[in-house]
Amino acid sequence: MTDHGHTARQAELKRRSSGRLMIFGFLSPTLAILLFMVAYPIFSLVYYSFFNFSALRQTTMKPVGLKNYEFLLTDPALWERFVFTGKFVFICVALQMLIGIFVGYQLQKNFRGRDIVFTLLMMPMMLSPVVVGFLWRYMLNSEWGIVNFLLSSVGLSKIDWLGQTTPALWAAAAADTWMWTPFIILLATAAFRGIPETIYEAAEVDGASPAYRFFRITLPMSAPVLFIALILRLIDSFKQYDLFFALTGGGPGSSTETVSFAVAKTAFSYFYTGEASALAVILLVIIIGLSMILVRHLQKMGEKY
Amino acid sequence: MNASRTSAIDVATRWIIFALLIAYTLYNIGPIFWLVLSSLKSRMDLFSMPPKLFFTPDLSGYQSVFGVGSAKDSASAVGVFDSLVNSVIVSVSGTTLAVFFGTLAGYVCSRFNFIGKGDFMFFVLSTRMLPPVAVLVFYHLMFARLGLADTRFGLVLVSIFANVGLATWIMKGFFDGVPKEVEQIAIVNGYTRMYAFTRLVLPMVRGGIAATAGFCFIFAWNEFAFASILTTTQAKTLPVKISAASGATGIEWTQICAAGVVLIVPVLIFFYLIRKHLLMGMTFGVLGRR
Amino acid sequence: MNTRTRLRLMASAAALGATLSVTAAKADTTLTFVWHAGTCADALVDIAKDYPDKSVKIVPALVPYGPQWHDKIASEFAIQGDAFDFAMWDSQSTAEFASHAVKINDIFDKSSYLKADIFPAASLSRYGEYPDGSGEYYGLPANQDAYGLTYRKDLFEDPKEQEAFKSKYGRDLTIPQTYQEAKEIAEFFTRPDQGLYGWAQMGGRDYDFATTASNSFLWSYGGELYNPETFEVKGYLDSPASIDGVKAYVDMFKFGPPGSTNWGFDEVNTAIQQGQVAMAMQWFYFNGSNADPKVSKFADKIGFAVLPGAVGRDGKFRRQFSVGGQGMGINKYSKKLPELTKFMEWYFQPEQQMRYAAVCQTGLKTVLENPEWQGLNSYNRQFSEALAYLNDYWHLPEYPVLLDELQQEISAAAAGTKSVEQALSDAAERNERTLERAGYEIKRGDSTPEVPDQVITPVGQDQVTAIK
Repeated sequence: MTDHGHTARQAELKRRSSGRLMIFGFLSPTLAILLFMVAYPIFSLVYYSFFNFSALRQTTMKPVGLKNYEFLLTDPALWERFVFTGKFVFICVALQMLIGIFVGYQLQKNFRGRDIVFTLLMMPMMLSPVVVGFLWRYMLNSEWGIVNFLLSSVGLSKIDWLGQTTPALWAAAAADTWMWTPFIILLATAAFRGIPETIYEAAEVDGASPAYRFFRITLPMSAPVLFIALILRLIDSFKQYDLFFALTGGGPGSSTETVSFAVAKTAFSYFYTGEASALAVILLVIIIGLSMILVRHLQKMGEKY
Repeated sequence: MNASRTSAIDVATRWIIFALLIAYTLYNIGPIFWLVLSSLKSRMDLFSMPPKLFFTPDLSGYQSVFGVGSAKDSASAVGVFDSLVNSVIVSVSGTTLAVFFGTLAGYVCSRFNFIGKGDFMFFVLSTRMLPPVAVLVFYHLMFARLGLADTRFGLVLVSIFANVGLATWIMKGFFDGVPKEVEQIAIVNGYTRMYAFTRLVLPMVRGGIAATAGFCFIFAWNEFAFASILTTTQAKTLPVKISAASGATGIEWTQICAAGVVLIVPVLIFFYLIRKHLLMGMTFGVLGRR
Repeated sequence: MNTRTRLRLMASAAALGATLSVTAAKADTTLTFVWHAGTCADALVDIAKDYPDKSVKIVPALVPYGPQWHDKIASEFAIQGDAFDFAMWDSQSTAEFASHAVKINDIFDKSSYLKADIFPAASLSRYGEYPDGSGEYYGLPANQDAYGLTYRKDLFEDPKEQEAFKSKYGRDLTIPQTYQEAKEIAEFFTRPDQGLYGWAQMGGRDYDFATTASNSFLWSYGGELYNPETFEVKGYLDSPASIDGVKAYVDMFKFGPPGSTNWGFDEVNTAIQQGQVAMAMQWFYFNGSNADPKVSKFADKIGFAVLPGAVGRDGKFRRQFSVGGQGMGINKYSKKLPELTKFMEWYFQPEQQMRYAAVCQTGLKTVLENPEWQGLNSYNRQFSEALAYLNDYWHLPEYPVLLDELQQEISAAAAGTKSVEQALSDAAERNERTLERAGYEIKRGDSTPEVPDQVITPVGQDQVTAIK
């Protein structure tokens, strides 16, 4: 009896220490590379955000305390950029999730030639972002673009897609959605196909409707993966700026500048390293805050199912 | 009566779904079609109104991308092949390592509870939140000091850094989908945890690994912001190399479109190679679906 | 394939990447330069192939035109690195990059051939001098450029059009000498039903697109961007004369294709090449491709001229437009200065520069004065005239910030989301804030002139002087 208990405890201890070894061994490469890549830049970012500093004109470096933050946070232009970015992120993420889940749900079914269709549908995501910007700029040109040509050939009036704020917002959202919906489709399809058939079969026996199947089985069962997809798209569309560089250059005025656009501009065109660092810190705080809320939500969901 | 109404609704629903799928496919494929077509058009044809569907193909875009034919002597043709080699090495090793590390980390995060797990997960994710431009100057400085600027090794590091967080999270999601009983049964039967992981769990998330590798490869292959600043001549990748051709005398639309088509081919090949695994579903083998 | 072999494969692929990354054999001296890709960079590389010292290789590190070009140079300077040895940068960037560039005066002192007087004084100053008037140079005029006028010769020379124009406006249809004349001609040729418009110009938000065009109007009407002595922007950038100029600029969009307010150089080129516009404001740099029958449907029907001026509210005539092009600067951190100087001594010989001038615009005096040069193509003669009327942005290290602020306001005015008065007054406000933050002391005068350009620089008269 005692002997048996002893071996069991031994085994338990062994298992636990092997578990610890596994945790350590499996996490350390990721942790090492991330720390190596993050430590110095992040330290610099925070450090220089308290300086009037340009990496290009280093002799003029001067500590300014919170002045950079004060300047940015009292500039109404920053809030306009946040509002614009928020609109863009919302439109993009909502469209991409809706379309992605819908198409992914249809594509999980087996049909002839599905692999080919599936691979072809992934193409927008594979394209170099540099090319995507140019391609949409070309297609949306108000004079020679195919989009306006198609509009006018069905009798609609031409739209100045890239020269006015609201059309430009939708144009950029269309381009971003075009490029990244396949990302959601791929993840959603893989997640949907991972749901064991037996669960559906059990529901079938109970006479569940297709809507019930989708909302009560498919969505909840694939929620972890879908939520990760959502967070990744949220982060990436929040960072979007090169699309706006290519499509509108931020104009007219500064009405289509995202926050990241402003960071890029301040960091590289202006070479105001200190101010750009402060702006990046503000942006980081906001994205981190948003993501924390979402991740906590995700964890709660994980506990539920 | 009731049954026939339901089936009528069913038919209508099916048609609506079909129409929506067709609409999405057009939206998805249309621009790609237009890209391929445009890559073969001369500048004169590109801007003709009405747009031309039939025209004499102009191969100058492809010639300039590969630095052959009429573009043989142009400065932008220098070292296209070297860039291709750089790109392949950087994105293949970057993807492989990112997926490898991410799979390990994702598994541990899915299966174990340890102190600081939430923080670790969040830290991993948060590395993706920083806009690269904000810290590029610091990276440039760090890489130059460490002798990593303009080297492939440096770009491989960047590529792992940029993707390992994504890989960890997606892989965790897929591991979460595998019932914990799999390992429990294995351990009860006297197998080690390591054995359960490599022999039982990993095969079950093949689809997830393939999908993750696909994403990582796309991001690694198309990475531009870091490569454009951190490389000058030796380690220049293909997207950076090709993008330079975009401004010869005005925007060289034909070349840009040709570059887009050329750059997409390796990714398509990669996706073709992993296609079997992509749609495997996560639970292949044990709970059996198709 | 089982998991273990797969893992092994992964590891070996990674190891391969690591080992292959450290292969860079260097036997010869390489001189690396950064420039945006294009025919001019091609020309440089092509000429450099014939450099007699075969142990020296000129390696291009080309970037796309636009922000990445500036960023690439700036980023290398910021880390004080030597990834490139020399670079071409925009004339306005000299102030920003001067502290990282070799002072060319030192080279002038040592070299037996490279001297200040082999370049026209104005060109050397434009592409290399900082601060203005100091006699210190940080760049050589490697690639000059100017804003110019492109027009449809077939329309201007059509007797029917000439007659119709005369009966409507009471004067001959000629190349416009003032923006007031240009407006009438643009109005005359604006026929949307025929797909023809009178005037194309840039209004885009990118880089310097809108302001290179609007400044040409602003200066010609007697406006100024700021007062370089007192650093006042208010009262100058938003002076009545400046407002006149920018209003005239915004007005001209009425005679351009709808939706052209966000156009950049490429859209303007397309309009020219597709024959959609009777006149366009465009850089001389692009004339080569606009006159190229492979690209331009109207290649043989396009004429090139000097941009108009304007009669300002003070009754005086001014003709001033934006300078383009790039100076060649040397990276101070380069370890190959002796080899580079030798190369430059060879590269700036008339023989090499004559070859360059066949494609792009050189800054070497002997070539510019060579009668053969003007006949090399259909626009060099006009270009030689245009050189007298060039004006530039602020020559201050804060140039990129000032430019971006002005770009925002001008593009808003072009798109019609702001009135010209409001846009210029906002721009002046923001420019002054930027100067103050950078530590400039603004000495406010008692009053500001209605027409700030009092001495009329660079060139102007009491009467309209025509350029044929």
